[in-house]
Amino acid sequence: MGGIYGLIALGLSLIFGVMGVINFAHGQMMVMAMYVSYWIFVLLGIDPYLSLVIVAAVIFVLGYVVQSALVNRILDYPEAIQVLPLVSLGLVLENCALLFWGPDHRSPQTALSLKTFWIGSVMIDVSRLIAFVLAIIITILIFMFLKKSNIGKCIRAAADNRTGAILVGINVDRINNTSFALGAATTAAAGVLLLPLMPVSPHIGHDFTLTAFIVVIMGGMGNLMGALVGGLILGIAESTSTLFLPATLKQVVSFSILIIIMLFRPQGLFGGKK
Amino acid sequence: MSEKRLSMNGIDRRTFLKFSGVAGLGVAASTFGVPKLLRAAPPTIKIGSVQPATGPLAVIGVGQRRGNQLAVDYINSMGGIKSMDGAKLELLLGDSESKPEIGRSEADRLIKGGAAVMTGPFQSGVALAISTLCEQRQVPFIMDVAALDKITDKGKKYTFRVFITVTGLLNGGIKYLKMVTDLKGVMPKRAVVTNTADAFGKGMSGGFIKFMEKSGLPIEIVDRVQYPLGIHDLSAEMARIKAAKPDILFPVSRPGDGIILARELYKQRVELMGIYGPGSPGWYEPDVIKDLDKLIYYVMVNVPWINPKSPVYQQANAAFQKAHNRYLDTNSAYAYAGVQVIADVIERAGSTDPEKILAAARQTNFKDHPVVGGPIQFDEKGDNTGALTALIQVQPDDDLLKRVKIVAPQEFAQSDKIVFPAPQLWER
Repeated sequence: MGGIYGLIALGLSLIFGVMGVINFAHGQMMVMAMYVSYWIFVLLGIDPYLSLVIVAAVIFVLGYVVQSALVNRILDYPEAIQVLPLVSLGLVLENCALLFWGPDHRSPQTALSLKTFWIGSVMIDVSRLIAFVLAIIITILIFMFLKKSNIGKCIRAAADNRTGAILVGINVDRINNTSFALGAATTAAAGVLLLPLMPVSPHIGHDFTLTAFIVVIMGGMGNLMGALVGGLILGIAESTSTLFLPATLKQVVSFSILIIIMLFRPQGLFGGKK
Repeated sequence: MSEKRLSMNGIDRRTFLKFSGVAGLGVAASTFGVPKLLRAAPPTIKIGSVQPATGPLAVIGVGQRRGNQLAVDYINSMGGIKSMDGAKLELLLGDSESKPEIGRSEADRLIKGGAAVMTGPFQSGVALAISTLCEQRQVPFIMDVAALDKITDKGKKYTFRVFITVTGLLNGGIKYLKMVTDLKGVMPKRAVVTNTADAFGKGMSGGFIKFMEKSGLPIEIVDRVQYPLGIHDLSAEMARIKAAKPDILFPVSRPGDGIILARELYKQRVELMGIYGPGSPGWYEPDVIKDLDKLIYYVMVNVPWINPKSPVYQQANAAFQKAHNRYLDTNSAYAYAGVQVIADVIERAGSTDPEKILAAARQTNFKDHPVVGGPIQFDEKGDNTGALTALIQVQPDDDLLKRVKIVAPQEFAQSDKIVFPAPQLWER
């Protein structure tokens, strides 16, 4: 799960890093992606891993539209005001899911969702392994994209210094749109990887927004490497804690880690450059 | 300046008035439109129904309303309450939003609006709040669904329950477990109980463990695994379950975690004789059956259930499917039965006077209902002595909707075979 947490948080961190806006509809966007992927699987029979690119593209467009229609208008507002439209967007998306797909828990059985293999007495779950590996690969791809490509460089420039970026002729509005869309597409990919692992229902988005938020704060706001490492720490902590604590205390564990990190590194593990 | 501000938002006074007028008409039409026809035929008898129509239990709440309404429509189409010159029934709708305090104020509103009898409310917490109110207002409260025993404790005079109590549910769970082990001549030795850590999950599984200890069955509960409602991942929990080496699993689940449990059992190759639900959802919903396919075969659940053999159910189910394109599930069927009982009581009372309704309710002996159980009769606490659970087992069938089969009690059974122990999940 760590890799997936990292991926979801990466999207959130990217959006925050560039625009300073916290996407409170993040988990709901992921749920949308899960439903799109579910649809593609049920209607066309395409396995979620194969439809990943299509789903990411769909959510990319959704993110682009949200940014250009909504978020760009509120960038200069006080932070407390920025929260409201995005929380509302989350509610709208959640209830759209309720309207279109109903409240039932859906979990299609894909070709690989039950595959496992054993190394000695250790069970390896194939879909978890794929999810983890793909999550890491996608993260690396996004790093490369931001480091090497022109758009990536513009995104980093806009994140570093918005005024400076405008001065050197970067169309910051368009860059904002692209970064938000990229952040949304990243979380969409995470959703698709989750589909074979857990049932989807309209109400699961909140939990993931919260988890992503914890991870981002742990790793340092807006720091992409921090998001990945934070995600891994949280994933490992949650699964090992179950061995000696009741599962109902999972959230206590993740929040305790958050508090400990906040005590010793208030800027987050990798934060502090800004 | 202010004008500019307004037009920037794209709304001026006229547009606002226009839209609010349309919205107002819409609301008015939806609230008063349908009952208006009914009001024309005097007199009408108002039944207040408070259900969780919005919030996390919205699916169920809407289903409950539909069940109530279906019975009202049917009774009206058959000529209404004959002892009161064919008086028609009218359903007043309240929405508890799944919260007790709101349920109470909604019930209060409906009583002020003239409800002669109250029904609902699916959740025990809401039921407690409404029953207290009904005692104060002296309005009979005939609950369709709500299970907690203590709702009818403390000598409440106006409160009756068509549904089964938690004690009844747990007794059924033990009774059928004994029946299955006797019938098959096999006895699991070690068991693990799992439950969601919400009020229902904790209470139900805690009660089940206590009842198991008293039951005299030689099954040792070696571990109890609790996890939060809405969990995404049970792999670590399943490792713990596997380490406990159980022969049987007693899950108290909610829709969603049943799917994860079954798949993890498969992936981690946990060897079991079977899965036996003491009384919880998560194992019989059409979507779950479809998604889990072979993995859910042979799961047994003790649950208050519909009676597909009864003509009442068949008739109601056909009407329900025509109207809502869904089958009449067990909760909606209980909502249907609730209104049926209310109509029967008023018919015999011949009046909406609360005292006459109470007297008639105590004499209730109602057989033509759509659920598994004997005739509905109320004991001195107001609980239904005819309430029964059924034991259902998911069995292979080409028709997805027919895979859930009643295997006990005998007179309601749809399948005469019970599969236990079940083949291991990965050998199917």
